[in-house]
Amino acid sequence: MSATLSVYRRWIRDRRLSTVSWTLGIVVIIVATAAFYPSLGSTTASIADGSDSGEAMSSLLGLSSGIDPSTPLGYLWISLYANIVPWTLMALGVALGTAAIASDEDTGALEYLLSGPVTRTQVAFARFAAAVSVLLLVSFLSGLSMVLSLPFFDLTESVTTTAPDGSSTTAPGATVGDIATGTFSSFAVALGLTGIAFLIGAATGRKGITLGGASAVGIGGYVLYTLSSMTSSLDFLTWLSPWRWYVDDVMLINGLTWDVTLPFITATLCLLIGWQAFLHRDLQSS
Amino acid sequence: MPAAIETRNLTKQWGDLKAVDKLDLVVNEGECYAFLGRNGSGKSTTARMLLDFIRPTGGSSELLGGSGSDPDIRARVGYLPGDLNLPRTMTGRDAFNYFGGLRPSGESDVRDSLVERFGLDPTRPVRELSTGNRRKVGLILAFMNNPELLILDEPTSGLDPVLQEEFRDLLAERKADGATIWLTSHVMAEVARVADRVGLINEGKLVKELTFEELRHQATTEITFGFAEPVPPSAFEDVTSVAAVTQDGVDLVLSLNGPVGAVLKRAAELDAIRVETEQNDLDTIFIQLLSGEEQS
Repeated sequence: MSATLSVYRRWIRDRRLSTVSWTLGIVVIIVATAAFYPSLGSTTASIADGSDSGEAMSSLLGLSSGIDPSTPLGYLWISLYANIVPWTLMALGVALGTAAIASDEDTGALEYLLSGPVTRTQVAFARFAAAVSVLLLVSFLSGLSMVLSLPFFDLTESVTTTAPDGSSTTAPGATVGDIATGTFSSFAVALGLTGIAFLIGAATGRKGITLGGASAVGIGGYVLYTLSSMTSSLDFLTWLSPWRWYVDDVMLINGLTWDVTLPFITATLCLLIGWQAFLHRDLQSS
Repeated sequence: MPAAIETRNLTKQWGDLKAVDKLDLVVNEGECYAFLGRNGSGKSTTARMLLDFIRPTGGSSELLGGSGSDPDIRARVGYLPGDLNLPRTMTGRDAFNYFGGLRPSGESDVRDSLVERFGLDPTRPVRELSTGNRRKVGLILAFMNNPELLILDEPTSGLDPVLQEEFRDLLAERKADGATIWLTSHVMAEVARVADRVGLINEGKLVKELTFEELRHQATTEITFGFAEPVPPSAFEDVTSVAAVTQDGVDLVLSLNGPVGAVLKRAAELDAIRVETEQNDLDTIFIQLLSGEEQS
């Protein structure tokens, strides 16, 4: 077995327990939220009319596209895919990106690994791949739990609403394709932050700086996006925020757009820059 | 004889601090070289530069004729860090399998015999082990692939006296098999049995290099004579082998660097009623050498 594959497998193996914990946590949240749809779908509709909520609140809830939360997909978007799912996956991404290099370097474990016949390049690429694999696995299992929950909580049923003028519209129920698209876009937004955490960790070798820096980027991007809803003067800055395309595009409902490639480009750039920084610096002593 | 380790003007500087300063070092194949110095003198920094964990700000180094950054070279090196840290969930056995598997010449029978020899339970997570047991894991990891070169940073730190002796036996065996050993320590007695040469490092500079035989010759003997009445130190001043005399009540303490016959004869003439002898241990010599270098 090549050294790269050994490092990849060992890193994932060392994270079995935490991966199971993250998966259970997100699955419980998803199933519990889905279970409330039959009783809460109509309640959330009152928020959707916008009478008691401003622009920022709508933006916060992912309602900027005029989504009807009483429909299955609208409910899943407002209650899960506009916030909880991407936030949870982003938190996992930050943890994984930090663990790839910075955590082990902070304790001295990375130094010992590099005393053997393994190169820094092998470690960087194997661990980045392992971090993405774990993130992908947890994302997949979260999506799978959602798909399996759909028929139990009426989320596959279409919903017909009648407007005051007598016209009616029918919204389709959620499909496997919708959930796959929504999950994939959530995975993508988390992947970008995983890349940023990897980059900071590879460049500094410090766990605290990496956790703090990557979290600040994630939270800062969100704050920037919600503030831009209140004042257009900040709008030019929102291109830095993944929430701009994630919330505006609503891929769970509207399908994939090319914007989904942005976090992949971000992660790839972070990998390459982080790898070079890692190659050319001193390892931190524990 | 080809060099297993060679450094030329090796320097590591952080800001104003020169952790290692123009280090020229040659360790020949099959040699056991002890790198001695106080805490913070630059021993571990040198080891970390040899293995390419940190990059020199000046000079260069070679291991086994190549670079410490070359994985093929590192495959032939066994390393024990000053403080072994492994992933939290890893047991001793996991560590042996994983790190041993990364090297081309893993031999499980060597590993098993070392586990038995050091009396280690390999099924427990390394993070839960005591300092001494973690040290055992590190030693087994360093030795289990029969490396050509051993780089050992404070190898006996945390080991009890019985295990220290076991470690020295193991080191002597590997040396007899032809392995090159480079170890750091701040305890000279710990390396006395196995080291061929000693390098003293102080404030990043290699201040003295000598063979162990030369080191032993630096040993001075102290003799204390007790008298019924106080005797002035000047009574021994003209005896050639006396390096120094101090008075302690009715006792005179003499440091000798030569034959004792003339000293004993003079003490008899002065009616000494008691005599005690003591030879400085290696650690005292170490302190004396470093003190001398610091003063110069």
